[in-house]
Parts: sequence; C-alpha cells; structure tokens
Amino acid sequence: MAGKAKEIIFDPLSDNNPITIQVLGICSALAVTVKMETAVVMCVALTCVLTASNTVISLLRTVIPSKIRMIVEMAVIASLVVFTDQVLKAYLFDISRQLSVFVGLIITNCIVMGRAEAFALQNPPGLSFLDGLGNALGYSIVLIIVATVREILGAGEWYGFSLFFLPKDYLGNGLALLAPGAFIIVGLIIWVQRTIIKKFEDS
Amino acid sequence: MQKGDQHVLLFAAIVCVTCSLLLSGTAAALREKQDFNVEMDRRVNVLKAFGVEVANEKGKRIITDDDVIATFKKHIFEVVLDRNGQILEGVSSDDLTSADKKKKLKLPLYQWSEEDTVTRYAFPISGYGLWSTLYGYMALEKDLATVIGVTFYDHKETPGLGGECSMPWFMDQFAAKIVWADGKLLPFEVVKGGVAVKYPSGCLHCVDGISAATITSNGITTFIREDLALYDAYFKTIRGS
Repeated sequence: MAGKAKEIIFDPLSDNNPITIQVLGICSALAVTVKMETAVVMCVALTCVLTASNTVISLLRTVIPSKIRMIVEMAVIASLVVFTDQVLKAYLFDISRQLSVFVGLIITNCIVMGRAEAFALQNPPGLSFLDGLGNALGYSIVLIIVATVREILGAGEWYGFSLFFLPKDYLGNGLALLAPGAFIIVGLIIWVQRTIIKKFEDS
Repeated sequence: MQKGDQHVLLFAAIVCVTCSLLLSGTAAALREKQDFNVEMDRRVNVLKAFGVEVANEKGKRIITDDDVIATFKKHIFEVVLDRNGQILEGVSSDDLTSADKKKKLKLPLYQWSEEDTVTRYAFPISGYGLWSTLYGYMALEKDLATVIGVTFYDHKETPGLGGECSMPWFMDQFAAKIVWADGKLLPFEVVKGGVAVKYPSGCLHCVDGISAATITSNGITTFIREDLALYDAYFKTIRGS
C-alpha cells in the first residue's frame, strides 16, 4: 500500500508527467509562464482543483450513474474552478487580473478531466487524492521550469528579484516573453526528458 | 420511465442544486471584498491620471489601499455635472446608475485641491473600441488645456492589438498634450501610422495610434473628442471666471 501510494505520487513527476509525456495542459503552460509569480499562483490553483475534484469524484464513484458521469465530472470541476476564481478575485486581485481567463480555463484543462476519468472513477478517495496531488505537482514542476527560463531570459529577473550573475544593463530577450518562446522551451524540456527516460512514441 | 432513469434524474438534480448553492454562497460571501478591490482599482486609476505615482516601473502597484483612501479624502472632491455644465447639488458619483453613466447625462468630475484651491481636474472617458467599451480617465491641468495623463483600466480588446491601449507606451504619450487653445477645443487625434508621418511639423493634440488596431484607435479619437466636448460646458464657466 505504501509502495503504491509512493508510485502514485512520484510517477507523474517524471515517467508519466502530464505535460511532457501525456502532452496535456499545454495551453496554460504557455500562457501563464511569463514570470514566476503568475506561474506559481496557477500551480496552486490547479493543485487545489485537481486534488479536490479527484477526491469528490472518487467519493461519488459508486453512485454516479454511468450515463451522465462525464456531465457530473464537468459540473464538479467547473464548480471548483469558479470557486477558486472567486477566491482569487477577492484576495489576489492583481494576480487574478494577470491570469485573466486562464483560471477559468482550468475547467477545460485535460489533466483534470483526464485524471477523473482514468483514476478517480476506479479508486478510493485516499489514493485519488494522492493521484491528483502527484499530477498537479508534475504539472507544476514543468510550469516552474518554463517560467524560470522565461523570466530569466526575458526580464533578467527571478520571482521579481534581480540576479547577481547578470550584468546590470541586461537587455531582456523578447522572444522568451512571447508564446513562441514558451513553445520552444516546452519542446526542449520534452526532448531532454524523453531522452533521459528513454520514452519514444514509435518504439 | 425506468427505475434507472429516475436515479439519473434525481442524481443530476442533486448535483445541480449542490453546485449552485456552493457557488452562490461563495459569490455572496466574497462580494463585498471583490467590490472593494474593483473600487480601489478605479480610484488608483483616477490617481494615476492625476499624475500620482501609483506603480513602479514594472507596473506593480506600490500604493496601499489606505493611502488611496487617504489621498482621496485629502485632495479629491467630486462633483456631478449635467450636460449644461451646471453642478448637480447633493449628487455624488455613487448615486449614478449604470444608465446615467452609459448615456453620459450626468457627468462626474474629480477635482484635485491643494489648500482649498482646485489645481487639477479629472473625468471619466469611455466609448467603443472594436469589441468592447473602453473605460478610462483623463486629467487636465488647472489651465484646462494641458493633459496630465490618461489611463485605460477596463476593456476587452484583443491583447497585443487593441489591448495595447492600456500599456504604458500608449498611455504615457498623452502627458503634456494640448486639448484647448485660442478659445476652442482642438480636434484630439489618435493618428494611424504615427504622428511624425502625418504631421511632420508636429501636432500637440495628437498621439501615435496602435498598429493593427485602427478601429480601437479611431474609437479612442471619437470618444475623447465627445467627452471633452461634454465637459467643456462646465470648463467654459471656469475659464470665464
């Protein structure tokens, strides 16, 4: 049991990472990673939604009629996302404005629906919670790497702090701040990671 | 109706009711806090138009809510005008309905006072861009001719195109522009292709337009002219005295 729990948490961090291996949740990984601050808030928001939705759906798994199971999953996920969005608007107004529509778009983030379908419907709440946590962490790691690269290259800062090893008159690289820059970085991460763990689509 | 269908309907009903209760509860509980944030944001933009430093060079807000409230209390008093330039006694901008604001029949005016003399004026500007209504403020010096600043704080234009209207490079252009000279309003213009191309000898009532956002730019030209004309009824009485 302990071994299984460990596997559930650590598997999505690398060997079954939702972004680099399953290639889900790319949209927000590109959109909110211009700087660390927004990326971290997005990660926290997704972690809350994913763990909560997995737990709730797992609790309901024996009573959800199979005919409407996807609609019920959607309703649960959408409610949790709107709840998170409302909380952000009340307590982190500036950041919620920068995240703009992307918190709302967690509803359509394939990771959330995917984990509900693939895991929470078949497993007890405890394990589903861990699965949600693991996948959210796997998503967060990639977002934070991308945001780190983009903020350092693009603005010469990290989490708003200037960096000692960069010259004072460092001129930010505009490409890193734009979506194509994020595409390139995500692509490089996928390439490096798949090379390391030897995962190839055509093998 | 089969037994299974009843279960489905019942379950769906329970899910709907639970979710809507949860969400309406949250919305009601957080409403006050959210409205406060929106109000603060609006006030910060009034201050910004007045030339108060509200954000650092990265665009991060550096003024606290308490400072905003205190500055408003100390320096700013508002009046509401009608279209003939008369002050409506006993009306504050909080009393205006959304229809009043939309039709611009009642016009709020923020006056910045230093030791009981009004030194600057600011008023809301709004109008259609391409997709949405743009909302902002324009502040004028005591001469009612020189612009201190313009801000746009709410719009739903395309990011990177019309959305550039709320970027510093665009808003900063308005400072020190002249909107009134020789007894009449000047035709303010957001110039497609850039001021330097259209007016090589310079133009003090023009700012550069936004590339690939001509409709937004033209919209801004139109509503700034209209709003200046609306407030001019009152400004005339001040200039005259």
